[in-house]
Amino acid sequence: MGIAMELRNVYKSIGKKEIIKDLSFDIKPGEVFGFLGPNGAGKTTTIRMMVGLMKITSGDILINGKSIAKDYKGAVKEVGAIVENPEMYPFMSGLKNLKHYARMMDGIDDERIEEVIKLVGLEKAIKEKAGRYSLGMRQRLGIAQALLHRPSVLILDEPTNGLDPAGIKEIRQYIRRLAEEENVAVIVSSHLLSEIELMCDRIGIIKNGELISIQSVNGQEEESAVTVSIEVEDKSASREILENDFDLKVAEEGRYLSIKLEKELIPTIIKKLAAQDINIFEVNVRRTSLEDKFFEVIGENTIA
Amino acid sequence: MRNFLNLMKNEQIKLFSRFATWSMFIIIAVIIIASGIITFIFDDFVTKDYGDNWRTELQEENADFEEMMEGEYMEGAYTGEIERNNYHLENDIKPSSYDGWQFTLDNAGLSMMISLFTIIIAAGMIASEFRWGTIKLLLIRPISRTKIMFSKYATVLLFALSMLIFLFVINLIVGAIFFGINGLNPTFVQSTMSGFQEVGIMKEIFTEYGLQMIKLVMMATFAFMISSLFRNSGMAIGLAIFLMFAGNMIVGVLSQYEWSKYILFANTDLSQYQADRHPMIEGMTMGFSVTILVIYYIIFLAVSWIAFTKRDVAGN
Repeated sequence: MGIAMELRNVYKSIGKKEIIKDLSFDIKPGEVFGFLGPNGAGKTTTIRMMVGLMKITSGDILINGKSIAKDYKGAVKEVGAIVENPEMYPFMSGLKNLKHYARMMDGIDDERIEEVIKLVGLEKAIKEKAGRYSLGMRQRLGIAQALLHRPSVLILDEPTNGLDPAGIKEIRQYIRRLAEEENVAVIVSSHLLSEIELMCDRIGIIKNGELISIQSVNGQEEESAVTVSIEVEDKSASREILENDFDLKVAEEGRYLSIKLEKELIPTIIKKLAAQDINIFEVNVRRTSLEDKFFEVIGENTIA
Repeated sequence: MRNFLNLMKNEQIKLFSRFATWSMFIIIAVIIIASGIITFIFDDFVTKDYGDNWRTELQEENADFEEMMEGEYMEGAYTGEIERNNYHLENDIKPSSYDGWQFTLDNAGLSMMISLFTIIIAAGMIASEFRWGTIKLLLIRPISRTKIMFSKYATVLLFALSMLIFLFVINLIVGAIFFGINGLNPTFVQSTMSGFQEVGIMKEIFTEYGLQMIKLVMMATFAFMISSLFRNSGMAIGLAIFLMFAGNMIVGVLSQYEWSKYILFANTDLSQYQADRHPMIEGMTMGFSVTILVIYYIIFLAVSWIAFTKRDVAGN
């Protein structure tokens, strides 16, 4: 297993302003990497650098070991991408749009085009003018165009934009399948955690052009500390028990008591509370470390 | 190379998938047909056919001209016509009747329309991709930006050429329908360096259309450059068309200065070096103008290239 895409100390300045500061991370084949950050954090700029639309001020981006700056053609051959909105030629049919891009790359025959159309489920509308497509259909056509040449790295900028919940689910399953079955490295950007959380293996959070942290979505490390909300009848009694017996910090959130604790402790405190004859209505574990982190970031992001 | 041909094919498809492009051809056709009808119905003088006694007809014509020139302000107005008629009489050449070739030659001025249309196409070539947002999908292929740019530029030239051929063919067809055709390369009497002469019409047509082509290519390349530089087609169209029409005036205003001969528009009209004309500014030669044109052309292309290949494709 090599590395599909590697960012090495990437900086981007426009004029005197540093837009991207020291971005370094890598993405493995078969992995879905979420690129999360509020609008204006530098996601699209980073993606534009990944595909060579913008120059890298310093540092380098390697795709399958090939530098996008030094070996543009070699590197970009392995990349399929949607940058921002999937814009198509509105006066041509979906099929003509796909053929247009197919002519720009090697080894794409009509069969492959058909295959990709089927894959994204556009068979019915493919002969219609792209200008009449809904945003969801354009999104699918965008994905089709990115997949034509069987890239090993797929970059999708806000792919769930404009999709209804059913569409989001479909794209999610589709992206997972690509990663798991075809070993494609997928980079998905979004400003909404909820939309990409379920499809990503890891999520990198970016704020004001800096990478704040990288979290594995289902990794063990953050399973240890969780936040639990408990709804009980007698809040003050429970609070006393939790604070005195377990030495926990308890916060009151409306009807709930909110505690941060090790996961292993949960059965113990429930037993203890029950033993004290306190009625428990609800115990809710929030897998929050990611969400909390993200909200911290979102709250503070300023478009400088 | 296969690569480049594919790119050209793409550009052709994009160009001709739009009705706007077709409408340009339709407009040209409509104008020519209208001009054919108007000439056929209203213009008895140009389309006049001479009978067997054409000598007396020409003499009568000359007498009429003389008479008309006696009127106030009309002095010398018809000397050219009289000289031409005299040439026919002296050399015993029967004036050929007006035909499709003549019509084609007379309508060479319509290549102004082609310049206009080519400027519009050139201006949109790069700017439209930015406007549609498709530039982002176009420039992430394993093809150098240089190649993409030149495929676009070549498409502009190909468009200009196909319009010119279209103009020529439609002119000939419409002319032939209304006025007939006098053989494959009829001759007619034209004023040249050494007075009037009988010349083949094909040569005249090609010179006329060829000279128009130079101005067309220069202005289209200019529009292409602005389009690449500012990524805005409106600006490119506006500037190029304004300069195309105001160019001669600008040179006229500045002609008192020695350096005005280096202005592009002092050089785009190479017909100024034809026999019966004078260069716009004293001391200019054909070789000088060609050199200046080549220099401008290279600058236009270089600026387009730098703007297209070296700059970031940033957000909206």
